Amino acid sequence: MKETLQKFFKMDRRWIFLVLAVVLFVPIMRPLGLPNKTISRDARNAFDYVDALKPGAFLLLSLDYDPSTRPELHPQAVAVIRHAFKKNLRIGVVTYIAGSTGLIEQIFETVPKDYGKVYGTDYVIFPYMANAAAVMTQMSSDFYGIYDKERNGKPVRDMPVMQGIKNYRDMALVVNITGTSILDWWVAFVGDKYNVPVVGGCTAISQPGYGPYLQTKQLKGLIGGMKGAAEYESLVKEPGKGTSGIDALNLAHLLVLALILTSNIILLIIKHL
Amino acid sequence: MKFIKKQIPLAIVMVTGLLMVASYYIPHKYSVDYVELMNKWENIVSAFAFLLGLVSLFYSHYGKIKRKADGWGYSLFVYIGFLAMVVPAMMTDGRQMVDGQVTSLGWSFRYIYNALSSTMFAVLAFYIVSTAYRSFRIKSRQAFVLFVAAFVLILGKVPLGQMIWDSLLGWTGQGVADIIEWIMQVPAVAGKRGIMIGIAIGAIVTSLKIIFGIEKQYMGKD
Repeated sequence: MKETLQKFFKMDRRWIFLVLAVVLFVPIMRPLGLPNKTISRDARNAFDYVDALKPGAFLLLSLDYDPSTRPELHPQAVAVIRHAFKKNLRIGVVTYIAGSTGLIEQIFETVPKDYGKVYGTDYVIFPYMANAAAVMTQMSSDFYGIYDKERNGKPVRDMPVMQGIKNYRDMALVVNITGTSILDWWVAFVGDKYNVPVVGGCTAISQPGYGPYLQTKQLKGLIGGMKGAAEYESLVKEPGKGTSGIDALNLAHLLVLALILTSNIILLIIKHL
Repeated sequence: MKFIKKQIPLAIVMVTGLLMVASYYIPHKYSVDYVELMNKWENIVSAFAFLLGLVSLFYSHYGKIKRKADGWGYSLFVYIGFLAMVVPAMMTDGRQMVDGQVTSLGWSFRYIYNALSSTMFAVLAFYIVSTAYRSFRIKSRQAFVLFVAAFVLILGKVPLGQMIWDSLLGWTGQGVADIIEWIMQVPAVAGKRGIMIGIAIGAIVTSLKIIFGIEKQYMGKD
């Protein structure tokens, strides 16, 4: 009996890989449609802050994630952009991660069309910049000192979307969606120093780390992981990849729990045999 | 010679560092101009650092290929990957879309970089699940506390877990969302805040040591 149980510990890990693959694959192919029961306070705060902005207000969107964190962060970005377009906000997109550029293109290839938004009038995409901290500081005095052209080299100063925008004082909100520590920099170098409201979006694993900023209101709201994306989508009433991905997330999380419980129960039995 | 090699660099670091610190607290045009100038220089230096990193990477992998070191074949893919992204980028002037059409750079990004990067990260999920089964053993009180916190968080973070909690423990009148809220707001924040304060103090001390020339390792051995 003891030896049989011990065999479970030495089980070929490829069996676990197979079970996980099935658990992830099935709900992606055939969504179960499990309801997203609760909306977290931080995601609701993020939504409320964007929702309270007046039409025409300028939102600086910093999208700093690459394909590795795309499943969690891309749906967040899409949901925020949809919300901003619905509210007729102006959007300026910046990035400090080279791998983000293609993902930004993919979003703006489709989403603006759904709301009849025009490039240069309603939104603009700025080029990738290295050294985020230096750029953030530079934007505080003169935005055009660092971003005088958009990503294809056209001058931005006279674009309707940039009307009345010179520095952070003219911006209503900064939203940073990232899988890196750039959100900390937005809080420290911009939010705190220039009194600009900052809302964040991050991966589920880094979500607990932003608790101190949320408590002190240095962050006005936070969208955390795929669940946060699903919550924001449900608040915007635009179900997307976050909502459809939540089924796979559900089953994968429960599989982890089941495995941890199983291994510990086996350990307990072995000890008492 | 020592004056040029040591004293002058140390003086530059000290003056530049002290001016940067002071400019944070002095809202004057001169200090703003100074910070802007430094930021531009920093960007230029960063660009050269990228180049230096690239040369170093190529040199190291060239050495592996030349020596036929273990796994030298993988080093070839460093060059292949580089060319697959840089050649289209140069051909398209760095544009991924032109007139609504995906360029060769856009194609490389979507079907090479995107796929490879996603795969690398996705593989982690399999290792995490396997490790959770093999290594998460409750052998002490501390491990038990960690397990309970992890159990509640994992369960409460997904709707299906919330439904299971409600059906099994709903009679307690305590929702899993409330418990998670408490864990995140009290013990998690307390721990994180301690870490943040520690890191900040460490960063200040290190910066002061560099500014005042106590820490000189960045200057090399000569």
